[in-house]
Amino acid sequence: MGSFFRKWWRLLTAIFLLSVAIQFFVRPPAALSRADAFHASGSILFRPVYATVDFVRHGISSIWSHYIALVGMSRENDRLRREVASLREKLQENRDTLLENRRLKELLRFSETAGKKTIGARVVGHDISPWFQSFFIDVGVEAGVEPGMAVVTPAGGIGRIHKTYSGLSEVLLVTDGRFTADVIVERNRVRAVAEGMGGNLCRLKYVSLTQDVVAGDRILFSGFDGSMPKGILLGTVVGVDRPPEGLFLKVQVRCSVSVHAAEEVLVVLYRPSIPFRAGKR
Amino acid sequence: MRQFLVVLAVSYVGAAASVWWLSGFVPWFLLPDFPFLAIVFAGLFIGGPAGFLAAIPPALFREITVSGPPWTFFLSSLALYFVSREIALRLFVRAEHFILSVVVSLLLTESLSVVILMLLAGSRPFSFLWGMEEAVRIAWTGLLAVPLYMDLSGRWRRVKE
Repeated sequence: MGSFFRKWWRLLTAIFLLSVAIQFFVRPPAALSRADAFHASGSILFRPVYATVDFVRHGISSIWSHYIALVGMSRENDRLRREVASLREKLQENRDTLLENRRLKELLRFSETAGKKTIGARVVGHDISPWFQSFFIDVGVEAGVEPGMAVVTPAGGIGRIHKTYSGLSEVLLVTDGRFTADVIVERNRVRAVAEGMGGNLCRLKYVSLTQDVVAGDRILFSGFDGSMPKGILLGTVVGVDRPPEGLFLKVQVRCSVSVHAAEEVLVVLYRPSIPFRAGKR
Repeated sequence: MRQFLVVLAVSYVGAAASVWWLSGFVPWFLLPDFPFLAIVFAGLFIGGPAGFLAAIPPALFREITVSGPPWTFFLSSLALYFVSREIALRLFVRAEHFILSVVVSLLLTESLSVVILMLLAGSRPFSFLWGMEEAVRIAWTGLLAVPLYMDLSGRWRRVKE
């Protein structure tokens, strides 16, 4: 027996480690999803790299916009002067309407932001593994970011915070196979569960065959599950299949945000009402 | 010590270049998994506790850069090291086609395991196109491993001699 273990201890260790890894994969313990010193050391090691890359990328874009793009500036300047003169005239005419509009806009903005504080973040890297869809943003635990918080852009929802480190967070994208959220169809308020399906697509689950969902319908997060803010756009229905057998429609949704092209995002600093379990939702 | 530093440098520079620099504009299937290659290299070519120590930083880099549930990729990367070590001790022959077949089999096994786990968990984000892209990634990473391993192991041998 002793010689068996001495001979195969490496393989047995590998099997043990894999068993624990599979257990964590299937049922991640909540205590392990918190940021710890071990993970923090890894993110600190990479910080100089992504900070430098971010600096260089934005430096190049700044050089482009401030110097190279100046070539056509003079012509554009003349055109803009004429446009400003015409706009000033219009502005005078509509001054009262404009002021009222501004007040209402401020009020609306206040009502939107009063309940949910947000923080801007820049995308600094992408997960290159074949199985998962996520990216990294340059804000972390010190900014109050926590796993489960929603990540949005002006065009719509983009994902949810998955892991947080110091100065770095990982965002699970809406197209990842593990992402699910409660959604509604904007036109007729039909409820469903959206699940990522890779590419730039999601599928809607549990939509009854009797429900009226057609291509072109806009899908919004319902907010009922407490994970994503209510009313944020997920995407537009691009395909509805009514299978001859089965209980539910097969609905495909194209996300409103091009998840891989996003550069800046907003993290909604609102603790989800349902406890978040990293890796599975 | 020198072996440890080389494995650390390969995995760190590779992960940094792929995840933070190239990932925005190069498709994922063209970006090799350098920490994976470093772990398998440590298992195949570096004996004793030094090999295990050399495998820990790349395992940490995988844990940080792969979006799996916490600790899963760290633990599975250490398991990958022990499996590679077992292969090195039982049946490994230091030749190009053996290196290629070992790396490709390990990549394939890891990928299939994650896919099966995700399918069992109810996720279905995989398509035929994804399968083709994954085949490209595995082939490309395997092909990259051959010159990398041959070169590094040759250098070790010269240093030892």
